[in-house]
Amino acid sequence: MKESVVIIGGGIAGMETAASLLELGYSPILVEQSDHLGGHVASWYRLFPDMTPASEVVASLKSRLDGVTVFLETGIQFINRLRDGYNVMLSNGVSIVAKAVVMATGFKLFEAAKKEEYGYGIYDRVITNRDLEKWFSGIPDERIPSAPWNIGFVHCVGSRDVKAGNTQCSKVCCMTAIKQAIEMKEKFPDAEVYCFYMDLRLFGKKYEDFYISAQKDYGIHFLRGRVSEVSETIDGRLLVKAEDTLSGRPVKINMDLLVLMSGMLCNPAAASIASMVKAGADDSGFLRSRDNVTGVVESERKGLFFAGACTGAKTVPETIAEARSAALSVHNYLRRPR
Amino acid sequence: MRERIASGFDPFVLPFLVGMAFVLLYCFFGALRVLWQLPREDRRRFLLSLFIPATAWKNVKDIFLNCLLHVKLWKRNPVLGYMHSSIAFGWFMLIVLGHLEVYLFVPSRLHLFYYPIFFNYFVAGADMSLQGAFLFFLMDLFLLVVLSGITLAIIKRIRSDIFGMRRTTRASLVDTVGMYALWSIFPLRLLAEGFTAGISGGSFLIKPLNWLLEVVFGTEFLQNGANMLPTWWAYSIALFVFMVVLPFSRYMHIPAEMMLIPMRNAGLRIRHPRRGFALMEVYSCPGCGVCIDACPMSVKKGNLKDCTVYLNRQIRRGNEKRIEEISDKCLLCGKCTEVCQVGVEGPALRIAQRSRKEYGLSPDYAAVDVGRLSAAVADSPEVLYFAGCMTQLTPSISRSVCSVLDKAGVKYRWMDRTEGLCCGRPMLQAGRFAQAKEMVRRNTAIIKSSGAKVLLLSCPICYKMFKEHYKLEGIEVVHHSVYFDRLRTTGKITLTKGDLCYAYHDPCELGRGCKVYDEPRNLVGTAAYIVEAGVSREASICCGGSLGSISLSFEAREAMTRNALDNLCKGHPDAIATACPLCLSTFSRYSEIPVRDIAEVVDASCQG
Amino acid sequence: MDFGFGLSPSSAVTLDRVDLSLYRKLEELNPDIRTCIACGSCSATCMAAEYSGMSVRKLILNIQRGADVSKMLSCCMLCGKCTMVCPRGINTRKVILDCCRYFK
Repeated sequence: MKESVVIIGGGIAGMETAASLLELGYSPILVEQSDHLGGHVASWYRLFPDMTPASEVVASLKSRLDGVTVFLETGIQFINRLRDGYNVMLSNGVSIVAKAVVMATGFKLFEAAKKEEYGYGIYDRVITNRDLEKWFSGIPDERIPSAPWNIGFVHCVGSRDVKAGNTQCSKVCCMTAIKQAIEMKEKFPDAEVYCFYMDLRLFGKKYEDFYISAQKDYGIHFLRGRVSEVSETIDGRLLVKAEDTLSGRPVKINMDLLVLMSGMLCNPAAASIASMVKAGADDSGFLRSRDNVTGVVESERKGLFFAGACTGAKTVPETIAEARSAALSVHNYLRRPR
Repeated sequence: MRERIASGFDPFVLPFLVGMAFVLLYCFFGALRVLWQLPREDRRRFLLSLFIPATAWKNVKDIFLNCLLHVKLWKRNPVLGYMHSSIAFGWFMLIVLGHLEVYLFVPSRLHLFYYPIFFNYFVAGADMSLQGAFLFFLMDLFLLVVLSGITLAIIKRIRSDIFGMRRTTRASLVDTVGMYALWSIFPLRLLAEGFTAGISGGSFLIKPLNWLLEVVFGTEFLQNGANMLPTWWAYSIALFVFMVVLPFSRYMHIPAEMMLIPMRNAGLRIRHPRRGFALMEVYSCPGCGVCIDACPMSVKKGNLKDCTVYLNRQIRRGNEKRIEEISDKCLLCGKCTEVCQVGVEGPALRIAQRSRKEYGLSPDYAAVDVGRLSAAVADSPEVLYFAGCMTQLTPSISRSVCSVLDKAGVKYRWMDRTEGLCCGRPMLQAGRFAQAKEMVRRNTAIIKSSGAKVLLLSCPICYKMFKEHYKLEGIEVVHHSVYFDRLRTTGKITLTKGDLCYAYHDPCELGRGCKVYDEPRNLVGTAAYIVEAGVSREASICCGGSLGSISLSFEAREAMTRNALDNLCKGHPDAIATACPLCLSTFSRYSEIPVRDIAEVVDASCQG
Repeated sequence: MDFGFGLSPSSAVTLDRVDLSLYRKLEELNPDIRTCIACGSCSATCMAAEYSGMSVRKLILNIQRGADVSKMLSCCMLCGKCTMVCPRGINTRKVILDCCRYFK
């Protein structure tokens, strides 16, 4: 009989882990709380740096799941640690005994309304990165004007901010902002697009090219200063206040659309599941790996593995690579004589 | 009835006399010193007030009710109330009745200070008459009352939690000596009078004790006058010790409060951090420690010694480093003053300490262009809306305020929509009075030039400042919760009851600061359902975000906010309503349920 | 020796010659100022920036570079907006008060 492995979370990390484990000859059981697979990526439009349609990524992962037991709209009731493995009780009444469990619980997007000074949910012209991706995918959004003059992107909303309860860098927002800025410029060539950043962290392959292109080909303005507050003018536009720290002067600018780059927080469900098996979390709330250099996908508990953004903010390619790594770690763990 | 000692004197009264003389002289010169320290006009005002019949009557009444009967404490905690008033009032009655005895039986000895105190030693057989027996009965009764109070005090020292106090003050050495002296005075008196009761007589308490002693020591032993002397010496020495340490211990509050009450009734307030009225407040602190449990900072053990009781102690000791630490840390929420039996103004005292700091650099606001700011509000309609600095970071409030005003058809101008000045309260709280005054001067000029009749504020910090420190003749200063409630009662707006259930948080500056408790509740109660928090109104717990604190770090405030949130969520509300931008943003940071300003609550359920 | 032939003063900062005593004092009293990421939120939100160019970011930086800070502090109203927006949680109001206090 093939060994069962429970994978918690059906985002791209969970899907890739399940697919890889299936290919390695195991019997993966994928548990997803929502009604669809693909997680956050499923609601994204295109991915940097090659503008790959996110739907293609999700579809190709899905195509490899034939043979994987998938439970949708299913939560974790509880997990017990057994002497050699885990007993996982699902909300649909199914109970599974597995030698290994992989947590692929992912992240939660920071609730932009919590930074009230930016006016998300208060002003009509403030949206988030996720709202914009949905609009790109064709879902109408009346907050986005038909002919904006000025469009602003605010980096680090709910990231690197002790007041928002998250001191970590969310890693992908700088690149996402540049990607979305380019896409907006393509849609509205006459608009001026501004990115308000504290530091630009463009660390990956081809990212710097993307940045250069945004500057050279699209004329996107990069302004080094964090937005302090947003108010509404009498004619319904947004007045954005920041300091242009490079010239050392406060700037005020009218905007027709402001996009908040909401950061990544650990999925709150992850902490409660992890606590059932006494796996710890870092101060940031993300789950604690056995080792941050050589054991990122392993937990401090035997037979419990991590894949993807549950241990920290990650890009899509990093998540996929880590999911494969997790699958391999599970494989080695189960093969090892005990 | 006969006098046992013909000379009317025995050396054992000496310790008492010395102690009494010392404490009276000390208090007399102390009072003179405080009077001398008062600013001339305050001194005049105080001395004159003593001769105004209404004030004089109030002084007597307040002293009787607060110093002797501890009425305020009774209301808060009946057991503690009984404990304090039994000792204070019981002792007072023992002294009064002692004088009455001397007056009735040996009027020729009335000039001897110690006679009423040691009456039973010097006079024998006074209980023979009906009158005497009744007086002796009263004496025993009040001695019993005092002893019951002392018993409670001893229990409280060991187990303060029985009395509903989670934490109590750590006694200093002098306080401990004073405390033991106080505790021993009355048992020793009981013992001394018990020894003499066979000769001098007594009532239901000391007579039986005398029989008991007779059983133990034998009749012969008790008949010998010399054998009773040691207990009278001990009683006198206990009094001596208590009175000698009194000025240096927390028991100084007994005489100090008797002076503080008339000074307060005369309308005096703190003018100098260490002199005059401030000194009176510091010495009036009984060191009971109710402010420790009340203080929102006490959720963290490291802050326990930063409560007002310790500020008073450190000011008395002159420990400058600790005074500065304690003063700078405080949130100035005012809850310690609210619970204090003596009414020591913790926040005002701290602000006064902060004002002692000297600065190498002082803002002067010369560059502020009042003309431009005034032009922006010129010819404004009846209502001028001042959102304040904090509201600029909580646009939901200003937006809702404007929306409600629009729906009510009120014409208004938003004074600080694009730029404006701070009201000056944070600067005032930092003890930089001259700077705060400069801001007040500039804002006053701008507001007066607007022609508005109503100054509407959505921030309680500004509201308190404008109400108390601005002279805006002809312009009504009003907080939005009060204004909206008025719009509701006059029918300008109609609120439809929603399904949500709110817990209303009283912001410190609006509730304890300006005594606005009911209007916000009326609004929430009409627009939605309301459930009271664990403690609320005067006992409301500061959100922890207060600008009052200078030195508390962001991290250090989290525990306070969470504690205040726990209290608000006691009744399981769906959401929290408050009426202060700072409370709103502080609570929103950690709250599991939504937090809304009163303006948002009103706007959501309001039709014009 | 200065013969008075100097041209306009150099705009370069010679860090070796900067008097850091005030900064050291501030750092001792407010260790959190070391965590400033120069995001500029405090400058953008400041009520006094309009009048005196106040900015806590520049205050911390200028003191370390030996530049004058008295002008920018001349209009600070201590309103606390900078404290509210600081993403590092720096107690800026205390920094300002300490700076005024130990300024010579």
